[in-house]
Formats: sequence, C-alpha cells, structure tokens
Amino acid sequence: MRGVYAVALLSFKEGLRHRVLYGVLLAALLLMGCTVLVSGFFLRDISKVILDFCMATVTLGGLTIPFFLAIHLLAKDIERRTIFTLLTRPISRGQYLIGKFFGLFLITGLIMLLLTGGVWLCLWGGEFLFGSRFFVTVSWVSIVAALFLSWLSVLILNAFVVLWSTVTTSSFLATLLTLFSYVIGHSIDDVVRFLQVEVTMIKISDSIRMTVDVVKYLFPNLAAFDLKSAAAHGLSIPFTDVLILTTYATAYIVVLLVLSTLFFNRRDLA
Amino acid sequence: MIQVSQLQKTYMSGVRRKPTNALVHVSLHVECGEIFGIIGPNGAGKSTLLKSLLSLVRPNSGTIKLNGFFPSDLRCRQSLGYLPENPCLYDNLSVNDHLIFIARTANLKNPLAQQRIPEVLAMVGLDHVRHKQIRTFSKGMVQRAALACALFTQPEILILDEPMSGLDPLGRKMVTDIIRAYNDQGNTVLFCSHVLTDVERICDRIAIMDRGQLALTITPQELLDITPDVRGESPLETLFVRTVGAGGQQ
Repeated sequence: MRGVYAVALLSFKEGLRHRVLYGVLLAALLLMGCTVLVSGFFLRDISKVILDFCMATVTLGGLTIPFFLAIHLLAKDIERRTIFTLLTRPISRGQYLIGKFFGLFLITGLIMLLLTGGVWLCLWGGEFLFGSRFFVTVSWVSIVAALFLSWLSVLILNAFVVLWSTVTTSSFLATLLTLFSYVIGHSIDDVVRFLQVEVTMIKISDSIRMTVDVVKYLFPNLAAFDLKSAAAHGLSIPFTDVLILTTYATAYIVVLLVLSTLFFNRRDLA
Repeated sequence: MIQVSQLQKTYMSGVRRKPTNALVHVSLHVECGEIFGIIGPNGAGKSTLLKSLLSLVRPNSGTIKLNGFFPSDLRCRQSLGYLPENPCLYDNLSVNDHLIFIARTANLKNPLAQQRIPEVLAMVGLDHVRHKQIRTFSKGMVQRAALACALFTQPEILILDEPMSGLDPLGRKMVTDIIRAYNDQGNTVLFCSHVLTDVERICDRIAIMDRGQLALTITPQELLDITPDVRGESPLETLFVRTVGAGGQQ
C-alpha cells in the first residue's frame, strides 16, 4: 500500500502542475459563463439549457484528463523512461499502475468537483438574471448523480489509458486506442439496438452480428453512464441505477487494472 | 554482493520478430565493497545487464542475486540505488519532491527525510535549487539530481549507467569523488561507462563486454602487467581496442 500511496501522490502532484489542467479549467469556466448569457434566448427552457450545457462542459473537462493528462502521466512516463525513477524503488509494477490510476482518480475528481462548483455558480447566476421561477424543476440530487456517473465513465477511460499504455510502445497509439474505446463505448448500445430491429431489404450477416456481440461484451457501455439530459429535465435518477452503474464501473476498472498488471509484468523496459 | 550466472537475453525486434542477442551467457560476481566497472562498445549489452539487475528487463535464462535476493523481490530494491543513462525526471516536480517520494517508498520518517534531503543535495551541489522545477535544470543538473535520488537512501549497492555523461570536468570529478567516498563506507558500486580513464582510475575490477558477452575481467594491477609498454595510450584503452577489435574481426 505504501508504494501505491507514494505513486498516487506523486502522480497527483505532477498532474496538478500540468498546464493542460489550467487551460481546461479556464476554457470550461468561460464556456459555462457564456451559457448563462446565451440561455436568455431560450425563454422557458432557461434552466434546462444552462444545465445541459454546463453538465456537458463538466464531462468534456473530465474527458480531457484521460486524453491529455493520463496519456502524459502514464504512456509518456514509459516512453520517456521517467518510470525508471519509480520502478527501481521497492514498488512492484502492479503497485505502480494502481498508484498511477489513483493519482488520475484524484485529479479527475478534483477537476470535476471544481467544474460542478461552476455549474452551481451558473445556476445561481441564471436565477439572479432571469428569476427563480425558471429554476423550480432543478433537482440537485439528479445533477450530482448524473455528474457522479459521468465521473465514473471518465474513470473507466482512465483505466483504458492504463491498459493501452502497458500493451503499446507509443503514447500516440495509446491515445488512439483510448479514443476507439471511447467511441465504441458510446455507440455500441445504439448498434446493438439497430441490429435487434428487423429491417426488410437489409440483410445483416451473422459474422457482423457475432462481431458486435463480442465487442458488446468486451467494451463497456459508456452511454449507460450518460444521464445528463434526465438531470437537465429535472427527472429523478433512481438510486438503484446509480448503485448498479457504480458496481459495473468498479468491476470493469478492476478487470482492466488486473489485465494491465498482467501485461506489464511481462514487458521489458529496455 | 552481486551474483550473475549464465544470463541470457534475446530481444525480438521488428514485424518478423528478428532475434538479437543482447546478453550471451554472462556470469559475474561482484564482492561487497567493490567498485566494478563495465566497459564496451555501443550495443555490447552493458545497459541490458544493468537493467536485468533491476528487473526492468526480464532475462530469458540465467540467475541474478543481489544481496541474496532475486531482482524481482522488492526487498532487494530497498538496498539499491540506480542512476539510468540519460536520466529523465518529472519536469513539473522539484528535486525535493522526487526525494520525498523516495523517502515515502523507503518508509523513511519525515523528520529523518527532511534531515537527509539537504545533506544529499549538498553532496551533489544542488542545495540552492531544492525547490526549483526540474524543467529549469540543465542536463548536468538533471544528472546530478538523479544521482541524488540514487544516493538518497544510502543503498548498499549503487548501479550507475554512464554516470559521467553530460557532466563538465568539475561535475565528473565530483561524481568520481562521490563514488569513492561512497565506496569507502563499504558499499558496492557497479557502473558502466565510455570514459575509459575514469573507469581505470576508480575501479577495483574492470570487465570488458562485447556483443553480449563478457570478454574479460581484469584488475588495474593486472592491466599494467599485461600492457606495460604503451606510448600515448592508456593501458585500458590499448586492451579495450585489442579485445573489442579482435572480437570484431572474428
């Protein structure tokens, strides 16, 4: 545990001093600020528009972590050989990967928490500018639940970065594979539904159906974590759904980290 | 004590998985308190040997023991310090952050770590830049910072890969002095270098590696006996050219 703690803390510190993080925060807060002003054009849907845009911005801000920071903290760590400083200490490769993941866990959590603060500010600003009658449907429980699930999906992507960084030798390839995982994770649900619908004149071969079936079980259904529009409409998100998705994400992350450790243990760091 | 027996490592490179022998049946024994230098041309397998000792590279066959432990055993790394070739530290962190990390992994209590940090930084001449980010350092300063990391826990075995690279003459003298002082405390130093004069000057034993094999091992005294009448060249340089050159002609 000592090794995991030391690596997590080092990664958190290194990540916090990365300029990308401040760029992301600034851009996201600016975007949120603009949303409040623009939402005035959408008369009765002011709260919905503000929430929709702000929560999308929080997710976007969270997504920059796996694609920019996580790749830098992990794949580049291996590519640039900074990893030698860590692995020549009494730290196993598994501890290193778990420590890195927890470092990213903390950074992503902090960023999304700060941006959630931005959402609160935007709602407050909206109420101040347009009056509280437009904000009666806002449910903070749903907003927090939706953003929490969004954070979980970003954590799954962080775990993918860990996996792809251990099996590839270049950071570019790791980024590309993470992007593929993201796209597949968000679209696989739609593809499965499309295949379930019998459309006349279109014949879908069995091999395609089988491939989709395999992909469906290999990649996570990231679309299931996207409940932002429900929260924006003031709908409640059942607690059991949140619990099931949290268990699903945790199990997925554990499997990815175990696989990463298995692959990484066999890798030469020449 | 370092014991390496019949170590073999083959890298598979390219799409066709072409094998390249990096280490071929390498055996060596380094006693406690010894300074052991390894020299050899580029691609001789020096760095692979050092990385095998640190479990960064998994050998295909053979055994390694460091103070009685296998390299994969985390206990052996408690007593190990490593300076990699072209060391790369975290740009956004300071040398102080790196040393605190090492203290955490070594389970060093905070007051003890805070006492040790200025000591080791003064040793490598970086005490004035303790809190500056590594990105502001010159190549030589990074090399010295990495050396401070390697020395921080006062390891029993110090493994140095090209410790003099990127250093000016003063820096090289400083590193040489540190290695000597460290060895005077009874610790073991294993290092590889291209700077033959440094190796000749400070090592108790020298090994020449060529194409993955340990061509020969010699003491400085034996070196003088073998190559006594050389004009203009250092005895080690003569022997190195003779050994590696002879190997290259085969």
